[in-house]
Amino acid sequence: MSRAIFTPELLDRCISCGFCLPACPTYVRTGVEVSSPRGRIDLMRALEAGELPDGDATVDEESSFCLGCRACEPVCPAGVQYGALLEEWRDHTWQRRGRSRRLLLGPLLWGANRAWRLRLLGLVRRHARGGPRAGDGPQLLLGCYERALFPRVSRAARKLAPALRVDRGQGCCGALHAHNGELARGRELAEQLGQRLEGTIVTTAGGCAAHLSTVLGRARVRELSEYLAEQGGLPRAGGERRRIALQDSCHLRNGMGVFAEPRALIAAVGEYVELASAAECCGAAGTYSMLRPNDSARILDDKLDELEAAGVDLVVAVNPGCLRQLQTGLRRRRSRVRALHLAELLAESHEHKGSL
Amino acid sequence: MLAVASELGLPVIPRGAGSNLSAGTIADRGGIMLTLTRMDRLLEIDLENLVAVCQPGVTNAALAAAAAGHGLLYPPDPGSRTTSTIGGNVAENAGGLRGLKYGVTRDYLLGCEAVLATGEVIRAGGKLVKEVAGYDLLRLLCGSEGTLAVLTELTLRLVPAPESSGLGLAYFPSLAAAGRAVSRVLRGGVLPATLEFLDAVCIETVEDFAAVGLRRDAGAVLIFGQDGGPEGVQRDVARIAEACEAEGAIEVNVARDAAEGERILDARRAALPSLSRLGRVTLLEDATVPRSEIAAMVERIEAAGARHGLRIGTFGHAGDGNLHPTIVLPDPDDAEAVERAHRAFDEIFQAAIDLGGTITGEHGVGLAKLSFLERRHGADHVALLRRIKHAFDPQGILNPGKLGS
Repeated sequence: MSRAIFTPELLDRCISCGFCLPACPTYVRTGVEVSSPRGRIDLMRALEAGELPDGDATVDEESSFCLGCRACEPVCPAGVQYGALLEEWRDHTWQRRGRSRRLLLGPLLWGANRAWRLRLLGLVRRHARGGPRAGDGPQLLLGCYERALFPRVSRAARKLAPALRVDRGQGCCGALHAHNGELARGRELAEQLGQRLEGTIVTTAGGCAAHLSTVLGRARVRELSEYLAEQGGLPRAGGERRRIALQDSCHLRNGMGVFAEPRALIAAVGEYVELASAAECCGAAGTYSMLRPNDSARILDDKLDELEAAGVDLVVAVNPGCLRQLQTGLRRRRSRVRALHLAELLAESHEHKGSL
Repeated sequence: MLAVASELGLPVIPRGAGSNLSAGTIADRGGIMLTLTRMDRLLEIDLENLVAVCQPGVTNAALAAAAAGHGLLYPPDPGSRTTSTIGGNVAENAGGLRGLKYGVTRDYLLGCEAVLATGEVIRAGGKLVKEVAGYDLLRLLCGSEGTLAVLTELTLRLVPAPESSGLGLAYFPSLAAAGRAVSRVLRGGVLPATLEFLDAVCIETVEDFAAVGLRRDAGAVLIFGQDGGPEGVQRDVARIAEACEAEGAIEVNVARDAAEGERILDARRAALPSLSRLGRVTLLEDATVPRSEIAAMVERIEAAGARHGLRIGTFGHAGDGNLHPTIVLPDPDDAEAVERAHRAFDEIFQAAIDLGGTITGEHGVGLAKLSFLERRHGADHVALLRRIKHAFDPQGILNPGKLGS
């Protein structure tokens, strides 16, 4: 018996070889099979076959314990699309959300559901505006909550690439919905955004980039570092060389294969320091830091220990969720390390040096 | 736990990482799945005796890395080495890419602690190169697939790491041609550290995953490597390359450096799972023949595939005669196709036996090959296996329904 929760071709791809185990942050920390990608795919199969019922405690727990970082994907020789499976899983399992999940996610998804609500958010904080010089370049994505939380990021992006257009009526890309059990709505929002913003869309959020490229096609989406690298003319280092680390965006790296570009851009303006865990999730993982604060903090703590031991001045993020996670953690520790977005770092150097 | 399980007659299936290539860790009779991955302490690297002592859950890669930190090498390196555990490697007598020159897991097992089904604890061997006090239980436990005892501590031989290594690729119009080149290389008096091949189907899927720049238009690629002193390595790599050219290689390349060589070997290790890209069902086999028969075996595999209209991707350890023909089917519900696949494997096993080979070289018997065991060994041999099993596990609780039952 098959319940049509999952796309069969996606689910059958896995041959349970276990190559994914060492790449999975939750498996590495627990050593428990059901907390690995292979184990979770087994749970999905049991759910699909009706061997485990809806509401099974382990199934529910694992669907939320998984960070959704997709670190299992690049190491999978069989090419299992784990991220897509997770979205289908949560779409099914999280329909009957638990109380705490409903209280936290409900308002968040509601807010990002309509463009006008986000526009109100944008009035509170001053994100980038389409100025009179705005050319006919690609469209800059403001991000749903990014525009309010980190308005400086989009302003920095425009400073770096003045050709970028800014449409003030744009909505959310739907990644938030797709990752949190509303897959259809997540795709719908991405399609609406694709219609509103014609041509190439440039984003400062790795998570949005990966979701948009899944729905709209890879060709229409550029994450900022990718766009800047394509445009050429890397900024030069100014003055003293600061030691700078990078926190990869999981979906940018594992979903889109973009990781060399931000490193090259950082290396042009400072001394780039590769953290051993640069490619590992920081525990932000979209809404994870809110839904599972303790697990999230445990993962973040390992990262912060490493950052402080590495003696870096700055850590750079390429996704607003990671940026918020790192800033919060560093502030709580009163660390001397500062976290900022790649766009901010480059714009700073740009100001010091004048030209790109 | 084992004493209680024995009393209750409850099956216990010990397992490591569960790569499960021969369905050896399937709990088809229920019971307790005894996963040993969290017994993962590396207890000691003894530089004077050149041994490592570890718990069963240490991964092969972790042991190899720890040994490398002391300038030592743990040679067995199964494709699954990043996840598979030493306990699992010993229980399956795992091979790997270095088998030809360095041998397999049993050649490195010096000692172990094991818990019998009755709960009794035994030790066999130790930090000893020589030991003849009694039957060689180590060799018996190695490859016993969790049917005789639960391995709880292992002592393994390490060797000094080779000074340097070199790797090359030779492309051939067909897998059989690559097989003939293998024979020529080995006749030439060189014992390569690595001699692996992939057919055209595997080249395609491996390249899709790893993008290491393999030629997609070739019928097969032979990956060859040597390690040792730099001069010897250079000389041997050149000699192997010559032998390949003499056997009609389309192109021969030598890796620029060790890092490039390692990327190619990692790609080769991903051959099996990457085949899963081609269809929804992947059926893997492990037929092994004397290496002089490798070209003949390859031809028999291809003939079986053609006869049954199946897509077979073959890769394997060409140097030690160990082949992994893998059938990929598009639809798991197509019973007729599954039946054809089983018929093809039946013929492939028979061909291996006819050529003086065996039904499994390194993946184990498990459930998958149990029905072929008697054909390989005859009734008397299989009866003896049962009596051995009974001596270790009178209640028949350890991994029941597999080897020895």
